[in-house]
Amino acid sequence: MKKKIVVAVLAVLIIVASVLTLTACNNNKKDFEYVTKKGTLVIGITNFAPMNYKDDNGKWIGFDTEFAEAVCAELGLKAVFQEIDWDTKEVELKSKTIDCIWNGFTVNDERKENVDFTKSYMMNEQAVVVKASNASKYTSLESLKSAKIAAEGGSAGVDAIKGDEYLKQAKLISVSAQTDCLLELISGTSDAAVMDYVMAMSYVGKGDYADLVIVESIDLAYEEYAIGFRKGSNLDEKVNEVMVKLYKDGTLLEIAQKYDIEVQLLDLSK
Amino acid sequence: MDFGQIMLSLAQGFATTCLLFILTLIMSLPLGLIIAFCSMSKIKPIRWLSRTIVWIVRGSPLMLQIIIVFYVPGLVFNYPMESRMFAVTVAFVINYACYFSEIYRGGIESIPKGQYEAGKVLGMTSTQIFFKVVLLQVIKRIMPPVSNEVITLVKDTSLARIISVGELIKSSQDMMKATASILPLFYSGIFYLAFNGILTLLFNYIEKKLNYYQG
Repeated sequence: MKKKIVVAVLAVLIIVASVLTLTACNNNKKDFEYVTKKGTLVIGITNFAPMNYKDDNGKWIGFDTEFAEAVCAELGLKAVFQEIDWDTKEVELKSKTIDCIWNGFTVNDERKENVDFTKSYMMNEQAVVVKASNASKYTSLESLKSAKIAAEGGSAGVDAIKGDEYLKQAKLISVSAQTDCLLELISGTSDAAVMDYVMAMSYVGKGDYADLVIVESIDLAYEEYAIGFRKGSNLDEKVNEVMVKLYKDGTLLEIAQKYDIEVQLLDLSK
Repeated sequence: MDFGQIMLSLAQGFATTCLLFILTLIMSLPLGLIIAFCSMSKIKPIRWLSRTIVWIVRGSPLMLQIIIVFYVPGLVFNYPMESRMFAVTVAFVINYACYFSEIYRGGIESIPKGQYEAGKVLGMTSTQIFFKVVLLQVIKRIMPPVSNEVITLVKDTSLARIISVGELIKSSQDMMKATASILPLFYSGIFYLAFNGILTLLFNYIEKKLNYYQG
C-alpha cells in the first residue's frame, strides 16, 4: 500500500513538472501593451552613485533615475524603482517582477542571449580600486595576480576579471552589489576591487571612502551602458525613439551635467 | 549621515520585519491546526497528502521556498508576482504552518485516550471533548515548542532579504554601505534582541498563567 502511494505521488510530481515546462514559453512581443495596461514600468536597479541612489530624504536620484523618469514621462508610464540582487537580474526580468534593467547595465554578447538591449547611451570602463596605502604595491595587472579581488556577482567587472590572464589567477570575492566591493576594501577583506569607472569616480577618495584610490595606470575593458528589456520585447524600440528625442533636445546632457558625467555620454543623434 | 537618520532607516526596516512577523503568526497558527487535523485524518489520501506536504516544506530550506514562490508564477505561468511582500508572506505562512502542525499533532496525540473514552461515557460529542477537555491541555503542553518557533520566526524574517524586501537586515546593510561602518549591523542586532526579549517575557507570563491547570 505504502509503495503504491509513493509511486502515485511521484507520478503526480512528474506530470506537474512536465506541464510546467510546456507552459514556460512566454510571448513578449506585446510587452509595450503589457506595461501600458498596468501603467507602470518597474525598473530593476541596485543602489549606486551616480546612477541610482537615494538622497537624504530617501528619494531615488541619480543619472539613470532621472533619465528613466524622463523616458517614462514621454511614454505616459510611471517609473517604479525596484532594488534587486544583481546576480538574479535576468530571472527577475523573465519572471516579470521587473520590466527592465536600467542601472549602468553593460552591453555584452553573453547578456544579449537573454536580454534585448536599447542603443548604448554611455561609455564606461572597468576600474581597479585599492586602498591608498596599497597603491604603490598594486600598479599593474600582473601585481594583482595573487590578490583578493572583490567584484559584484554577475557584473561586467567579473567578466573583465575572468577575461584577463593575470586577474583570473587572483582570488575572486563575489559580492551582491557594487558598493559592497568598497566595504570589502576598507575592511581589508579584499585587496582590490574591480568596478564601473563611472561609479568609482563618484565614491572613491571622498567622505567615508577617502582612503581609497583608483589605479589609473591599469586599463581594463572599454564598454557601453544600455537598457535591458525582455528578449523579443517591443519596448526597446519605443524607448530608443524617446532616447534619441531626449538627446536631441538636450535633456539628457542636462541630467548628465547635473551628475558630472557628461564626458561619458554617447552621441545618440546618429 | 547622522545617528538619527540611521535609526530612522532601521526603524522602517524593523516595521517591515514586524509586519511580516505578525502576518505570518496570524495566518500560520490556525492553518497549522488544519494541517495537523489532516495529518491525523482517518482518510488515508488526506493524511498522506498532508504528511507529504509537511515533509517537503520542512525538508527544504525556507530560502529556496521564498525564491520559488516569488519567481515561479512569472516564469512558468506568465502571471508575475505583484508584490514581494506578498510572496514572502505566503512562503513564511506555509513554512511555519507546517512546523506548527507537527507541534499541534504532538500535543494532541500526547493526551491519553482514556480522556476521550471518559468524555464519551459522560455523553459528550467529539467536538465537545476536543474543545472542552483536550484543547486547553494541548495549549499548555505546546507552549514551550511554540515559543521556540516564534522566536526563530523573528530571526527568519531576515531571509526576506533574498528577494529584496526592505526588512531590518536589508536596511542595516544599506546603512552600512552608506556610512562605511559596521555599527548599523550592531544596532539591528539590538532591535532583534529587544524584540525577542519582549517575546520571552510574554511567553513566560503565559506559561505562568497556564500553570494553575495541571494537565
